[in-house]
Amino acid sequence: MARRQCGCFVELTMEMGEPFAAAPGQFVHVRCEVPGLILRRPYSLYDVRKGSASLLIREVGAGSAWLCAVEEGCELDMLGPLGRGFSMSAGGRHALIAGGTGIAAIRFLATRLMELDGDTVVFWGVEGEKECGGLHGALDGEFDLRLATMDGSAGYAGNVIELFRASGTEGFTGIYACGPRGMLAGLAECIGSEGLARLQVCMEERMACGVGACRGCAVPVSSPPGGYLTACKDGPVFTGRELDWRRING
Amino acid sequence: MAEDKRVDLGIELSGIRLRNPVLVCSGTYGNGREYAEWLELEALGGLMTKSVTLAPCPGNAPPRLWETPSGMLNSIGLENAGLERFLADELTWLSHLDLPVWVNVAGFSPEEYVEVAGEISRTGLAAALELNISCPNVKRGGIHFSHDAHEAAALVELVKAEIEIPLYVKLTPRCTDIAHTAAMVAAAGADGISMINTFPAMAVDIETASPRLGNVTGGLSGPAIHPIAVRMVWEVARAVDLPIIGMGGIWTWKDAVEMMMVGSDAVAVGTLNFADPAAPLGIVDGIAAFLERKGMDSVTELVDMVRGEDE
Ligand SMILES: Cc1cc2nc3c(=O)[nH]c(=O)nc-3n(C[C@H](O)[C@H](O)[C@H](O)COP(=O)(O)OP(=O)(O)OC[C@H]3O[C@@H](n4cnc5c(N)ncnc54)[C@H](O)[C@@H]3O)c2cc1C
Ligand SMILES: Cc1cc2nc3c(=O)[nH]c(=O)nc-3n(C[C@H](O)[C@H](O)[C@H](O)COP(=O)(O)O)c2cc1C
Ligand code: FES
Repeated sequence: MARRQCGCFVELTMEMGEPFAAAPGQFVHVRCEVPGLILRRPYSLYDVRKGSASLLIREVGAGSAWLCAVEEGCELDMLGPLGRGFSMSAGGRHALIAGGTGIAAIRFLATRLMELDGDTVVFWGVEGEKECGGLHGALDGEFDLRLATMDGSAGYAGNVIELFRASGTEGFTGIYACGPRGMLAGLAECIGSEGLARLQVCMEERMACGVGACRGCAVPVSSPPGGYLTACKDGPVFTGRELDWRRING
Repeated sequence: MAEDKRVDLGIELSGIRLRNPVLVCSGTYGNGREYAEWLELEALGGLMTKSVTLAPCPGNAPPRLWETPSGMLNSIGLENAGLERFLADELTWLSHLDLPVWVNVAGFSPEEYVEVAGEISRTGLAAALELNISCPNVKRGGIHFSHDAHEAAALVELVKAEIEIPLYVKLTPRCTDIAHTAAMVAAAGADGISMINTFPAMAVDIETASPRLGNVTGGLSGPAIHPIAVRMVWEVARAVDLPIIGMGGIWTWKDAVEMMMVGSDAVAVGTLNFADPAAPLGIVDGIAAFLERKGMDSVTELVDMVRGEDE
């Protein structure tokens, strides 16, 4: 395991002993060796190459703090890859929208869509440029990246949904998003019911088992009415139409 | 593997042979299938299914999970696909395994319990039933069956009359005197006791002054409740002469041994499965090594080793 710090984010790269095939949007469930902390922590795959996989982690609590400080060379106890990733088709013009650490799943998706000859634009919303520690510059070399900062320190000043709307939402065959609930709800509202047909979102929900056994990570869905699917097994990626946005906003 | 060890790990509960005394708790292992790709299910002592209700149950509003120091709160709300789908999709699949299965039954009225329990018993595919009495009786203004020992005993009597497989009653700390409840359900015909269910509990996000769970309150499980579970098993083992499956925060083989020493005949691993789905198998190995070190021939020797002053 090797570590690289970029602003508020830590990139962990693991050598994978066995062949590791994963789709963008899939995640791994990581055990954090913190006394008194009992549940694993879910993390999107940020990059998967021959023989290695990486995660992009932001410190928000005890588990992520442990991961950000874990000694290089250590082996991580990970379950995965888990869940249903983004469905991808060749060609097309794609808008990828990330909020904060949502860039992890979105970056992996962008690289795969480009391999499929898709035309991709990535919109990334963060608090300020300092948070990125140059990561946006590095990623801009990989794909067309448009940054939105809340404090106006770089790129567009404002939130990422405003930036996306300003770029014209119509011309995209596919819209993909990963980020906080509020951002996803704002996006769903912005693109309207016609846009939902082109939308796929990665839902972050608290998890226990990570494999569909505990029903703890329930996401409200439109069918059956009032019903739920699991973020860990049925998701974390859902189509815009599958979700019950009224209950997600509420 | 545990099978190679010289000590005998096999036990018998109500006539059911278990290859070892370590089961997995209801609601923490799905219906087994979710874990089939990660480990050999047949190495477990037994499996207790997710609660099954008559009609499909959508479950509670999210968030349903919150982690607390050495524990977690859950308010899943009995989400399951209902009896019909359980029989078609889950129990049939499980019955192809060489693994004793306790089907956990829940309901919102005595009639519902009786119907679900009867149907499952009649399939002949389950080794035993586990009655989850921590459910609100909708017909009695939502009072929990477990809340009142008479209510619980009456339910046991009704269910017993409809089934032909052993009935284990799952006790909950949501009662005033757990030994009394145990004695009442034993007198009503229960074949065994499983214990304990989660503790009613709550946590609040102080930034927004709102409950952490969509359902406001939930059940506390994990290492935080283990010593309380040990005490309760101890009390119940002294009050009834029935087999006990002990559960509640078992995290290591030592916790399992401790639970058996106070009177449980078998143990079930719950929340720990989320951290490590293979942990029950490690616990089996740990128990075997302990027995060898102590020069014991059979795991049944552990049961009730701790005796009170007056015994
Ligand atoms: C499918 C999925 C993919 C994820 N991918 C990434 C990623 O690529 N990079 C990254 O940094 N984080 C990601 N997360 C969020 C990450 O799992 C949480 O930040 C982490 O579990 C926090 O653990 P902790 O012990 O540090 O903090 P805790 O003390 O547990 O929580 C600290 C704060 O984080 C919030 N939080 C905790 N768990 C989650 C969760 N599951 N989803 C959303 N918010 C949560 C809490 O509400 C709290 O405000 C992902 C979550 C999911 C479900
Ligand atoms: C997420 C979760 C779901 C549960 N679901 C059920 C259930 O459906 N029926 C039931 O009788 N007990 C259920 N339980 C309770 C467990 O079976 C067990 O009694 C309890 O968690 C104590 O054991 P533990 O501390 O080892 O987890 C559930 C527990 C958890 C954590
Ligand atoms: S975390 Fe257990 S079902 Fe999703």
